[in-house]
Amino acid sequence: MDNSDIYREEILSQYRNPQNFGVMKRPSRESYKVNPLCGDGIRLQILLTPKGVVKKVRFSGTGCAISIAAASLLTSWMEGKSLAQLKRLKPESVQKLLGVEVGPARHKCLFLSFEALRDILGV
Amino acid sequence: MQNIRAQFPILKRKVNGKPLAYFDNAATTQKPVSVIDALTRFYREANAPVHRSVYSLGVEATERYEEVRTEVQKFINAKHAEEIIFTGGATESLNIVASSFSEAFLKAGDTVLVGDSDHHAVIVPWQAVAEKKKLKLTFIPVADNGVIDLAAYKTLLKTKPKFVALTYISNVLGVINPVKEMTALAHKAGAAVMIDAAQSVAHTPIDVQKLNCDFLAFSGHKMYGPTGVGVLYGKKELLERMPPRTFGGNMIAEVTREKTTYAPLPAKFEAGTPPIAEVIGLGEAIRFIQKIGFKAIQKTEGELTAYALKSFAKIPELSLLGSKNAQNRIPVFSFIMCGVHPHDIATLLDREGISVRAGHHCAEVLHRRFSITASVRASLTFYNTKAEIDRLREALIRTVKKFNG
Ligand SMILES: Cc1ncc(COP(=O)(O)O)c(C=O)c1O
Repeated sequence: MDNSDIYREEILSQYRNPQNFGVMKRPSRESYKVNPLCGDGIRLQILLTPKGVVKKVRFSGTGCAISIAAASLLTSWMEGKSLAQLKRLKPESVQKLLGVEVGPARHKCLFLSFEALRDILGV
Repeated sequence: MQNIRAQFPILKRKVNGKPLAYFDNAATTQKPVSVIDALTRFYREANAPVHRSVYSLGVEATERYEEVRTEVQKFINAKHAEEIIFTGGATESLNIVASSFSEAFLKAGDTVLVGDSDHHAVIVPWQAVAEKKKLKLTFIPVADNGVIDLAAYKTLLKTKPKFVALTYISNVLGVINPVKEMTALAHKAGAAVMIDAAQSVAHTPIDVQKLNCDFLAFSGHKMYGPTGVGVLYGKKELLERMPPRTFGGNMIAEVTREKTTYAPLPAKFEAGTPPIAEVIGLGEAIRFIQKIGFKAIQKTEGELTAYALKSFAKIPELSLLGSKNAQNRIPVFSFIMCGVHPHDIATLLDREGISVRAGHHCAEVLHRRFSITASVRASLTFYNTKAEIDRLREALIRTVKKFNG
Protein backbone atom coordinates (compact mmCIF):
# COMPACT_ATOMS: atom_id res chain seq x y z
CA MET A 1 0.00 0.00 0.00
CA ASP A 2 1.30 3.41 -0.96
CA ASN A 3 1.49 5.42 2.27
CA SER A 4 1.82 8.67 0.40
CA ASP A 5 -1.56 8.16 -1.22
CA ILE A 6 -3.96 10.34 0.67
CA TYR A 7 -6.75 8.73 -1.30
CA ARG A 8 -6.04 5.17 -0.35
CA GLU A 9 -9.00 2.95 0.39
CA GLU A 10 -9.01 3.31 4.21
CA ILE A 11 -9.37 7.04 3.91
CA LEU A 12 -12.02 6.88 1.23
CA SER A 13 -14.04 4.45 3.34
CA GLN A 14 -13.80 6.80 6.35
CA TYR A 15 -15.11 9.48 4.03
CA ARG A 16 -17.96 7.34 2.75
CA ASN A 17 -18.91 6.06 6.21
CA PRO A 18 -17.57 8.48 8.78
CA GLN A 19 -17.67 7.54 12.45
CA ASN A 20 -19.42 9.80 14.97
CA PHE A 21 -21.17 11.69 12.20
CA GLY A 22 -24.34 13.34 13.41
CA VAL A 23 -25.76 15.94 15.73
CA MET A 24 -26.15 15.70 19.50
CA LYS A 25 -29.10 17.38 21.24
CA ARG A 26 -27.39 18.56 24.44
CA PRO A 27 -23.63 18.69 24.10
CA SER A 28 -21.48 20.01 26.95
CA ARG A 29 -19.51 22.07 24.45
CA GLU A 30 -19.44 22.65 20.73
CA SER A 31 -17.74 24.66 18.03
CA TYR A 32 -18.23 25.37 14.34
CA LYS A 33 -15.26 26.07 12.10
CA VAL A 34 -15.24 27.12 8.48
CA ASN A 35 -12.52 26.59 5.92
CA PRO A 36 -12.33 30.03 4.30
CA LEU A 37 -10.85 28.55 1.13
CA CYS A 38 -13.95 26.62 0.19
CA GLY A 39 -16.67 27.55 2.64
CA ASP A 40 -16.88 24.04 4.08
CA GLY A 41 -17.74 23.90 7.74
CA ILE A 42 -17.52 21.31 10.49
CA ARG A 43 -19.45 21.38 13.73
CA LEU A 44 -17.88 19.45 16.56
CA GLN A 45 -19.79 18.56 19.73
CA ILE A 46 -18.66 16.80 22.87
CA LEU A 47 -20.48 15.43 25.88
CA LEU A 48 -18.38 15.30 29.05
CA THR A 49 -18.72 13.25 32.21
CA PRO A 50 -18.71 15.25 35.48
CA LYS A 51 -15.01 14.41 35.72
CA GLY A 52 -14.29 15.99 32.35
CA VAL A 53 -13.90 12.84 30.30
CA VAL A 54 -15.30 12.68 26.79
CA LYS A 55 -18.36 10.43 26.86
CA LYS A 56 -19.64 11.09 23.38
CA VAL A 57 -18.48 13.02 20.29
CA ARG A 58 -20.36 14.04 17.20
CA PHE A 59 -19.41 15.99 14.14
CA SER A 60 -21.49 17.26 11.24
CA GLY A 61 -21.18 19.47 8.21
CA THR A 62 -19.77 19.27 4.73
CA GLY A 63 -16.23 18.60 3.67
CA CYS A 64 -13.81 16.87 1.37
CA ALA A 65 -12.40 13.38 1.86
CA ILE A 66 -9.48 14.72 3.87
CA SER A 67 -11.49 16.85 6.28
CA ILE A 68 -14.18 14.22 6.80
CA ALA A 69 -11.75 11.31 7.22
CA ALA A 70 -9.66 13.39 9.63
CA ALA A 71 -12.75 14.36 11.64
CA SER A 72 -13.89 10.74 11.72
CA LEU A 73 -10.53 9.50 13.02
CA LEU A 74 -10.06 12.41 15.40
CA THR A 75 -13.47 11.98 17.00
CA SER A 76 -12.88 8.25 17.45
CA TRP A 77 -9.62 9.00 19.17
CA MET A 78 -11.27 11.60 21.40
CA GLU A 79 -13.73 9.18 22.99
CA GLY A 80 -12.75 8.36 26.56
CA LYS A 81 -10.01 11.00 26.70
CA SER A 82 -9.81 13.61 29.45
CA LEU A 83 -9.76 17.33 28.70
CA ALA A 84 -6.10 17.40 29.73
CA GLN A 85 -5.31 14.68 27.20
CA LEU A 86 -7.21 16.53 24.49
CA LYS A 87 -5.24 19.67 25.22
CA ARG A 88 -1.98 17.84 24.71
CA LEU A 89 -2.93 16.67 21.22
CA LYS A 90 -0.53 18.09 18.67
CA PRO A 91 -1.21 18.84 14.99
CA GLU A 92 1.34 16.19 14.05
CA SER A 93 -0.71 13.62 15.92
CA VAL A 94 -3.72 14.41 13.75
CA GLN A 95 -1.52 13.81 10.73
CA LYS A 96 -0.50 10.48 12.34
CA LEU A 97 -4.10 9.45 12.97
CA LEU A 98 -4.68 9.74 9.26
CA GLY A 99 -1.54 7.74 8.58
CA VAL A 100 -0.51 9.70 5.51
CA GLU A 101 1.42 12.82 4.73
CA VAL A 102 -0.96 15.59 3.72
CA GLY A 103 0.73 18.43 1.86
CA PRO A 104 0.47 22.07 2.96
CA ALA A 105 -2.11 22.82 0.25
CA ARG A 106 -4.57 20.65 2.16
CA HIS A 107 -3.66 21.51 5.76
CA LYS A 108 -6.79 23.64 6.14
CA CYS A 109 -8.85 20.56 5.27
CA LEU A 110 -6.84 18.24 7.48
CA PHE A 111 -7.00 20.47 10.55
CA LEU A 112 -10.57 21.74 10.28
CA SER A 113 -11.94 19.44 13.01
CA PHE A 114 -8.75 19.90 15.05
CA GLU A 115 -9.34 23.66 14.97
CA ALA A 116 -12.87 23.13 16.19
CA LEU A 117 -11.47 21.01 19.01
CA ARG A 118 -8.94 23.72 19.94
CA ASP A 119 -11.80 26.19 19.99
CA ILE A 120 -13.86 23.94 22.29
CA LEU A 121 -10.87 23.67 24.61
CA GLY A 122 -10.25 27.41 24.49
CA VAL A 123 -6.63 26.99 23.43
CA MET B 1 -1.37 29.66 -32.14
CA GLN B 2 1.10 26.74 -32.26
CA ASN B 3 4.14 28.91 -31.74
CA ILE B 4 2.25 30.90 -29.11
CA ARG B 5 2.85 28.10 -26.60
CA ALA B 6 6.56 28.33 -27.25
CA GLN B 7 6.47 31.91 -26.03
CA PHE B 8 5.47 30.75 -22.53
CA PRO B 9 8.52 29.08 -20.96
CA ILE B 10 6.57 27.72 -17.98
CA LEU B 11 4.34 25.62 -20.23
CA LYS B 12 7.32 23.36 -20.88
CA ARG B 13 7.68 22.34 -17.27
CA LYS B 14 6.51 19.20 -15.59
CA VAL B 15 4.42 18.97 -12.45
CA ASN B 16 4.47 15.74 -10.47
CA GLY B 17 6.27 14.10 -13.35
CA LYS B 18 3.61 15.04 -15.91
CA PRO B 19 3.52 17.88 -18.41
CA LEU B 20 1.83 20.90 -16.90
CA ALA B 21 -1.73 21.55 -18.07
CA TYR B 22 -2.44 24.97 -16.64
CA PHE B 23 -6.15 25.61 -16.20
CA ASP B 24 -6.09 28.44 -13.66
CA ASN B 25 -5.87 31.37 -16.03
CA ALA B 26 -8.79 33.19 -14.44
CA ALA B 27 -6.68 33.44 -11.29
CA THR B 28 -3.53 34.47 -13.09
CA THR B 29 -2.23 33.91 -16.60
CA GLN B 30 1.27 32.74 -17.42
CA LYS B 31 3.77 35.22 -18.83
CA PRO B 32 5.29 35.29 -22.30
CA VAL B 33 9.02 35.73 -22.82
CA SER B 34 8.53 39.29 -24.03
CA VAL B 35 7.00 40.35 -20.71
CA ILE B 36 9.57 38.48 -18.63
CA ASP B 37 12.36 40.05 -20.69
CA ALA B 38 10.88 43.52 -20.37
CA LEU B 39 11.04 43.20 -16.58
CA THR B 40 14.63 42.00 -16.47
CA ARG B 41 15.68 44.49 -19.13
CA PHE B 42 14.22 47.31 -17.09
CA TYR B 43 16.06 46.25 -13.94
CA ARG B 44 19.32 45.59 -15.80
CA GLU B 45 19.37 48.67 -17.97
CA ALA B 46 16.83 51.28 -17.07
CA ASN B 47 15.86 51.16 -13.39
CA ALA B 48 15.28 54.60 -11.88
CA PRO B 49 12.55 56.40 -9.98
CA VAL B 50 9.86 58.19 -11.93
CA HIS B 51 8.56 61.75 -11.83
CA ARG B 52 11.22 63.39 -9.66
CA SER B 53 14.53 63.15 -11.41
CA VAL B 54 16.63 65.64 -13.27
CA TYR B 55 19.09 63.03 -14.49
CA SER B 56 18.66 61.19 -17.79
CA LEU B 57 18.02 57.74 -16.36
CA GLY B 58 15.12 59.03 -14.28
CA VAL B 59 13.74 61.01 -17.18
CA GLU B 60 13.86 57.91 -19.41
CA ALA B 61 12.07 55.80 -16.81
CA THR B 62 9.40 58.46 -16.46
CA GLU B 63 8.93 58.60 -20.22
CA ARG B 64 8.53 54.83 -20.46
CA TYR B 65 6.11 54.80 -17.53
CA GLU B 66 3.99 57.55 -19.05
CA GLU B 67 4.12 55.93 -22.49
CA VAL B 68 2.43 52.89 -21.01
CA ARG B 69 -0.31 55.12 -19.68
CA THR B 70 -0.96 56.21 -23.26
CA GLU B 71 -0.84 52.59 -24.43
CA VAL B 72 -3.45 51.62 -21.84
CA GLN B 73 -5.52 54.63 -22.86
CA LYS B 74 -5.52 53.41 -26.46
CA PHE B 75 -6.05 49.79 -25.42
CA ILE B 76 -9.36 50.59 -23.71
CA ASN B 77 -10.06 53.69 -25.83
CA ALA B 78 -10.20 56.22 -23.01
CA LYS B 79 -10.64 59.84 -23.98
CA HIS B 80 -7.78 61.20 -21.87
CA ALA B 81 -4.51 59.68 -20.67
CA GLU B 82 -5.03 61.10 -17.19
CA GLU B 83 -8.15 58.96 -16.85
CA ILE B 84 -5.79 55.99 -16.51
CA ILE B 85 -4.65 55.45 -12.92
CA PHE B 86 -2.03 52.81 -12.19
CA THR B 87 -2.80 50.83 -9.06
CA GLY B 88 -1.56 47.65 -7.44
CA GLY B 89 -4.30 45.59 -9.09
CA ALA B 90 -8.02 45.32 -9.76
CA THR B 91 -8.73 44.91 -6.05
CA GLU B 92 -7.09 48.23 -5.24
CA SER B 93 -8.84 49.93 -8.17
CA LEU B 94 -12.24 48.66 -7.01
CA ASN B 95 -11.52 49.70 -3.43
CA ILE B 96 -10.52 53.21 -4.47
CA VAL B 97 -13.83 53.67 -6.28
CA ALA B 98 -15.93 52.35 -3.40
CA SER B 99 -14.22 54.47 -0.82
CA SER B 100 -13.59 57.67 -2.80
CA PHE B 101 -16.81 57.79 -4.83
CA SER B 102 -18.92 57.20 -1.73
CA GLU B 103 -17.09 59.90 0.18
CA ALA B 104 -17.55 62.42 -2.63
CA PHE B 105 -21.08 61.68 -3.77
CA LEU B 106 -23.10 59.43 -1.45
CA LYS B 107 -25.03 60.07 1.71
CA ALA B 108 -26.88 57.96 4.28
CA GLY B 109 -29.89 56.18 2.81
CA ASP B 110 -28.57 56.08 -0.77
CA THR B 111 -28.88 52.79 -2.61
CA VAL B 112 -25.98 50.97 -4.24
CA LEU B 113 -26.38 47.89 -6.45
CA VAL B 114 -23.81 45.11 -6.53
CA GLY B 115 -24.26 41.70 -8.13
CA ASP B 116 -24.69 38.13 -6.92
CA SER B 117 -21.98 37.08 -9.35
CA ASP B 118 -19.54 39.78 -8.26
CA HIS B 119 -16.11 38.97 -6.93
CA HIS B 120 -15.40 39.63 -3.23
CA ALA B 121 -13.23 42.54 -4.43
CA VAL B 122 -16.46 44.30 -5.42
CA ILE B 123 -18.86 43.10 -2.73
CA VAL B 124 -16.69 43.47 0.36
CA PRO B 125 -15.47 47.09 -0.16
CA TRP B 126 -19.06 48.18 -0.79
CA GLN B 127 -20.28 46.32 2.28
CA ALA B 128 -17.66 48.10 4.35
CA VAL B 129 -18.54 51.49 2.87
CA ALA B 130 -22.28 50.83 3.19
CA GLU B 131 -21.90 50.06 6.86
CA LYS B 132 -19.84 53.18 7.50
CA LYS B 133 -22.02 55.54 5.48
CA LYS B 134 -25.37 53.84 6.16
CA LEU B 135 -25.99 53.07 2.49
CA LYS B 136 -28.47 50.50 1.31
CA LEU B 137 -26.72 47.66 -0.53
CA THR B 138 -28.89 45.60 -2.86
CA PHE B 139 -27.83 42.55 -4.89
CA ILE B 140 -28.65 42.12 -8.56
CA PRO B 141 -29.62 38.46 -8.98
CA VAL B 142 -28.25 36.15 -11.67
CA ALA B 143 -30.43 33.88 -13.77
CA ASP B 144 -29.82 30.11 -13.81
CA ASN B 145 -27.68 30.45 -16.93
CA GLY B 146 -25.36 32.73 -14.94
CA VAL B 147 -26.14 35.98 -16.73
CA ILE B 148 -27.35 38.92 -14.68
CA ASP B 149 -31.15 38.79 -14.51
CA LEU B 150 -32.06 41.78 -16.69
CA ALA B 151 -35.72 41.93 -15.69
CA ALA B 152 -34.82 41.93 -12.00
CA TYR B 153 -32.13 44.51 -12.71
CA LYS B 154 -34.64 46.85 -14.35
CA THR B 155 -36.92 46.53 -11.35
CA LEU B 156 -34.04 47.31 -8.98
CA LEU B 157 -33.21 50.43 -10.97
CA LYS B 158 -36.63 51.78 -10.02
CA THR B 159 -35.29 52.15 -6.46
CA LYS B 160 -33.11 54.94 -7.92
CA PRO B 161 -29.67 53.67 -6.94
CA LYS B 162 -26.85 56.19 -7.00
CA PHE B 163 -24.20 53.66 -7.92
CA VAL B 164 -24.17 50.34 -9.77
CA ALA B 165 -21.31 47.82 -9.81
CA LEU B 166 -21.31 45.45 -12.78
CA THR B 167 -19.16 42.45 -13.55
CA TYR B 168 -18.21 42.22 -17.19
CA ILE B 169 -17.49 38.49 -17.04
CA SER B 170 -18.00 36.34 -13.96
CA ASN B 171 -14.79 34.69 -12.82
CA VAL B 172 -16.80 31.59 -11.93
CA LEU B 173 -19.28 31.22 -14.76
CA GLY B 174 -17.41 32.78 -17.68
CA VAL B 175 -20.58 34.34 -19.10
CA ILE B 176 -20.42 37.78 -20.64
CA ASN B 177 -22.92 40.19 -19.14
CA PRO B 178 -24.61 42.82 -21.33
CA VAL B 179 -22.74 45.61 -19.54
CA LYS B 180 -23.20 48.22 -22.26
CA GLU B 181 -26.96 47.94 -22.17
CA MET B 182 -26.93 47.74 -18.38
CA THR B 183 -24.77 50.85 -18.11
CA ALA B 184 -27.19 52.82 -20.29
CA LEU B 185 -30.11 51.67 -18.13
CA ALA B 186 -28.28 52.64 -14.95
CA HIS B 187 -27.43 56.06 -16.31
CA LYS B 188 -31.05 56.61 -17.23
CA ALA B 189 -31.95 55.80 -13.63
CA GLY B 190 -29.39 58.33 -12.44
CA ALA B 191 -26.65 56.00 -11.21
CA ALA B 192 -22.91 56.03 -11.84
CA VAL B 193 -21.51 52.71 -13.11
CA MET B 194 -18.36 50.78 -12.32
CA ILE B 195 -17.39 47.77 -14.41
CA ASP B 196 -15.15 45.05 -13.04
CA ALA B 197 -13.32 44.00 -16.18
CA ALA B 198 -10.74 41.76 -14.46
CA GLN B 199 -11.92 38.69 -16.37
CA SER B 200 -12.70 40.29 -19.70
CA VAL B 201 -9.58 42.30 -20.35
CA ALA B 202 -7.61 39.35 -21.77
CA HIS B 203 -10.50 37.93 -23.78
CA THR B 204 -12.57 40.74 -25.28
CA PRO B 205 -11.70 44.18 -26.60
CA ILE B 206 -12.74 46.99 -24.26
CA ASP B 207 -13.92 50.41 -25.34
CA VAL B 208 -14.76 52.53 -22.33
CA GLN B 209 -16.25 55.32 -24.45
CA LYS B 210 -18.63 52.91 -26.15
CA LEU B 211 -19.48 51.24 -22.85
CA ASN B 212 -19.82 54.73 -21.42
CA CYS B 213 -19.05 53.38 -17.95
CA ASP B 214 -17.87 55.81 -15.30
CA PHE B 215 -15.22 53.48 -13.88
CA LEU B 216 -13.54 50.30 -15.02
CA ALA B 217 -10.96 48.13 -13.26
CA PHE B 218 -8.58 45.34 -14.22
CA SER B 219 -5.29 43.68 -13.24
CA GLY B 220 -2.12 43.24 -15.28
CA HIS B 221 -1.47 39.68 -14.16
CA LYS B 222 -4.67 38.30 -15.66
CA MET B 223 -3.64 39.59 -19.09
CA TYR B 224 -0.16 38.06 -19.39
CA GLY B 225 1.47 40.93 -17.49
CA PRO B 226 3.17 41.06 -14.10
CA THR B 227 1.50 40.90 -10.70
CA GLY B 228 1.43 44.06 -8.62
CA VAL B 229 -0.01 46.37 -11.25
CA GLY B 230 -3.56 47.19 -12.19
CA VAL B 231 -5.57 49.92 -13.80
CA LEU B 232 -8.38 52.13 -12.67
CA TYR B 233 -10.12 53.96 -15.45
CA GLY B 234 -12.44 56.77 -14.40
CA LYS B 235 -14.15 59.59 -16.21
CA LYS B 236 -12.08 62.71 -15.73
CA GLU B 237 -14.90 64.90 -14.46
CA LEU B 238 -15.68 62.34 -11.73
CA LEU B 239 -12.10 61.53 -10.72
CA GLU B 240 -11.39 65.25 -10.45
CA ARG B 241 -14.13 65.64 -7.87
CA MET B 242 -13.14 62.56 -5.87
CA PRO B 243 -10.71 62.64 -2.92
CA PRO B 244 -7.44 60.69 -2.98
CA ARG B 245 -7.27 57.47 -0.96
CA THR B 246 -3.58 57.22 -0.26
CA PHE B 247 -1.51 60.17 0.80
CA GLY B 248 2.19 60.82 0.44
CA GLY B 249 4.72 61.67 -2.20
CA ASN B 250 3.81 62.32 -5.84
CA MET B 251 0.14 63.02 -5.13
CA ILE B 252 0.66 66.53 -3.80
CA ALA B 253 0.84 69.96 -5.37
CA GLU B 254 2.10 71.84 -2.32
CA VAL B 255 2.66 70.90 1.30
CA THR B 256 2.92 73.40 4.13
CA ARG B 257 2.52 72.94 7.87
CA GLU B 258 -1.02 74.17 7.60
CA LYS B 259 -2.30 72.53 4.50
CA THR B 260 -1.67 70.31 1.51
CA THR B 261 -3.06 70.75 -1.96
CA TYR B 262 -3.27 67.74 -4.21
CA ALA B 263 -1.74 67.14 -7.60
CA PRO B 264 -3.98 66.97 -10.66
CA LEU B 265 -4.92 63.64 -12.26
CA PRO B 266 -3.54 61.04 -12.51
CA ALA B 267 -0.92 61.75 -9.81
CA LYS B 268 -3.62 62.49 -7.22
CA PHE B 269 -4.39 58.77 -7.07
CA GLU B 270 -0.80 57.52 -7.41
CA ALA B 271 0.86 58.23 -4.08
CA GLY B 272 4.36 56.96 -3.44
CA THR B 273 6.76 55.16 -5.75
CA PRO B 274 4.63 53.22 -8.20
CA PRO B 275 5.29 49.68 -9.50
CA ILE B 276 7.48 51.00 -12.32
CA ALA B 277 8.85 47.75 -13.73
CA GLU B 278 5.38 46.21 -13.51
CA VAL B 279 3.82 49.08 -15.43
CA ILE B 280 6.44 48.63 -18.13
CA GLY B 281 5.70 44.90 -18.12
CA LEU B 282 2.02 45.72 -18.51
CA GLY B 283 2.81 47.77 -21.58
CA GLU B 284 4.63 44.77 -23.02
CA ALA B 285 1.63 42.53 -22.22
CA ILE B 286 -0.66 44.88 -24.12
CA ARG B 287 1.68 44.71 -27.09
CA PHE B 288 1.69 40.92 -26.84
CA ILE B 289 -2.12 40.79 -26.92
CA GLN B 290 -2.35 43.26 -29.75
CA LYS B 291 0.17 41.33 -31.82
CA ILE B 292 -2.04 38.25 -31.68
CA GLY B 293 -5.20 40.33 -31.93
CA PHE B 294 -8.55 39.77 -30.26
CA LYS B 295 -9.96 38.26 -33.43
CA ALA B 296 -7.50 35.37 -33.33
CA ILE B 297 -7.81 35.08 -29.56
CA GLN B 298 -11.58 34.81 -29.72
CA LYS B 299 -11.47 32.30 -32.55
CA THR B 300 -9.14 29.95 -30.68
CA GLU B 301 -10.88 30.42 -27.36
CA GLY B 302 -14.27 29.87 -28.99
CA GLU B 303 -13.07 26.53 -30.35
CA LEU B 304 -11.69 25.53 -26.97
CA THR B 305 -14.98 26.54 -25.34
CA ALA B 306 -17.04 24.40 -27.68
CA TYR B 307 -14.68 21.45 -27.29
CA ALA B 308 -14.61 21.69 -23.50
CA LEU B 309 -18.40 21.91 -23.27
CA LYS B 310 -18.70 18.83 -25.46
CA SER B 311 -16.16 16.97 -23.33
CA PHE B 312 -17.88 17.88 -20.07
CA ALA B 313 -21.23 16.76 -21.44
CA LYS B 314 -19.74 13.26 -21.77
CA ILE B 315 -19.29 13.00 -18.00
CA PRO B 316 -22.71 12.27 -16.47
CA GLU B 317 -21.53 13.01 -12.90
CA LEU B 318 -20.42 16.51 -13.84
CA SER B 319 -22.75 19.49 -13.46
CA LEU B 320 -21.61 22.74 -14.91
CA LEU B 321 -22.65 25.97 -13.19
CA GLY B 322 -24.38 28.46 -15.43
CA SER B 323 -24.59 28.43 -19.20
CA LYS B 324 -23.92 25.24 -21.17
CA ASN B 325 -23.92 27.23 -24.35
CA ALA B 326 -20.72 28.10 -26.21
CA GLN B 327 -22.06 31.50 -27.23
CA ASN B 328 -21.44 34.65 -25.28
CA ARG B 329 -18.86 33.23 -22.94
CA ILE B 330 -15.15 32.70 -22.40
CA PRO B 331 -13.57 29.32 -21.61
CA VAL B 332 -14.02 29.56 -17.85
CA PHE B 333 -15.92 26.59 -16.44
CA SER B 334 -16.95 25.83 -12.89
CA PHE B 335 -18.53 22.55 -12.00
CA ILE B 336 -19.28 20.10 -9.26
CA MET B 337 -19.12 16.33 -9.46
CA CYS B 338 -21.46 13.92 -7.82
CA GLY B 339 -19.83 12.26 -4.83
CA VAL B 340 -16.45 14.00 -5.00
CA HIS B 341 -15.53 17.18 -3.19
CA PRO B 342 -13.87 19.93 -5.31
CA HIS B 343 -10.72 19.90 -3.19
CA ASP B 344 -10.27 16.19 -3.71
CA ILE B 345 -10.73 16.61 -7.43
CA ALA B 346 -8.12 19.37 -7.53
CA THR B 347 -5.62 17.28 -5.58
CA LEU B 348 -6.14 14.23 -7.78
CA LEU B 349 -5.84 16.29 -10.98
CA ASP B 350 -2.69 17.92 -9.66
CA ARG B 351 -1.06 14.52 -9.50
CA GLU B 352 -1.54 14.31 -13.22
CA GLY B 353 0.01 17.71 -13.78
CA ILE B 354 -3.35 19.42 -14.22
CA SER B 355 -3.78 22.71 -12.33
CA VAL B 356 -7.39 23.59 -11.57
CA ARG B 357 -8.86 25.70 -8.83
CA ALA B 358 -11.13 24.38 -6.08
CA GLY B 359 -13.14 26.47 -3.67
CA HIS B 360 -15.50 29.41 -3.97
CA HIS B 361 -13.12 31.47 -6.16
CA CYS B 362 -13.80 34.62 -4.12
CA ALA B 363 -17.48 34.44 -5.04
CA GLU B 364 -19.22 33.00 -2.01
CA VAL B 365 -22.46 34.85 -2.68
CA LEU B 366 -22.69 33.27 -6.12
CA HIS B 367 -21.99 29.78 -4.76
CA ARG B 368 -24.73 30.19 -2.19
CA ARG B 369 -27.00 31.31 -5.00
CA PHE B 370 -26.41 27.90 -6.57
CA SER B 371 -26.78 26.23 -3.14
CA ILE B 372 -23.24 24.90 -3.01
CA THR B 373 -20.18 25.82 -0.98
CA ALA B 374 -17.46 25.11 -3.49
CA SER B 375 -16.77 24.13 -7.07
CA VAL B 376 -13.92 23.14 -9.36
CA ARG B 377 -12.89 25.74 -11.89
CA ALA B 378 -11.01 25.10 -15.11
CA SER B 379 -10.21 28.40 -16.78
CA LEU B 380 -8.59 28.28 -20.18
CA THR B 381 -6.97 30.70 -22.50
CA PHE B 382 -5.67 30.55 -26.05
CA TYR B 383 -2.49 28.67 -25.15
CA ASN B 384 -4.46 25.70 -23.83
CA THR B 385 -5.08 22.83 -26.21
CA LYS B 386 -7.72 20.24 -27.03
CA ALA B 387 -5.24 17.55 -25.99
CA GLU B 388 -5.11 19.15 -22.55
CA ILE B 389 -8.91 19.14 -22.38
CA ASP B 390 -8.81 15.41 -23.23
CA ARG B 391 -6.41 14.85 -20.35
CA LEU B 392 -8.74 16.77 -18.06
CA ARG B 393 -11.77 14.77 -19.15
CA GLU B 394 -10.00 11.44 -18.68
CA ALA B 395 -8.62 12.44 -15.29
CA LEU B 396 -12.08 13.52 -14.15
CA ILE B 397 -13.56 10.20 -15.17
CA ARG B 398 -10.81 8.34 -13.28
CA THR B 399 -11.47 10.52 -10.22
CA VAL B 400 -15.15 9.71 -10.16
CA LYS B 401 -14.38 5.99 -10.52
CA LYS B 402 -11.93 6.08 -7.65
CA PHE B 403 -14.37 7.82 -5.33
CA ASN B 404 -17.60 6.23 -6.26
CA GLY B 405 -16.00 2.81 -6.46
C1 LIG C 1 -13.93 39.26 -11.49
C2 LIG C 1 -12.74 39.62 -10.66
N1 LIG C 1 -12.69 40.81 -10.06
C3 LIG C 1 -11.63 41.19 -9.32
C4 LIG C 1 -10.55 40.37 -9.14
C5 LIG C 1 -9.43 40.84 -8.29
O1 LIG C 1 -8.24 40.92 -9.01
P1 LIG C 1 -6.85 40.99 -8.26
O2 LIG C 1 -6.81 39.84 -7.32
O3 LIG C 1 -5.84 40.90 -9.35
O4 LIG C 1 -6.79 42.31 -7.56
C6 LIG C 1 -10.56 39.11 -9.75
C7 LIG C 1 -9.45 38.16 -9.59
O5 LIG C 1 -9.16 37.56 -8.62
C8 LIG C 1 -11.68 38.72 -10.51
O6 LIG C 1 -11.74 37.53 -11.09
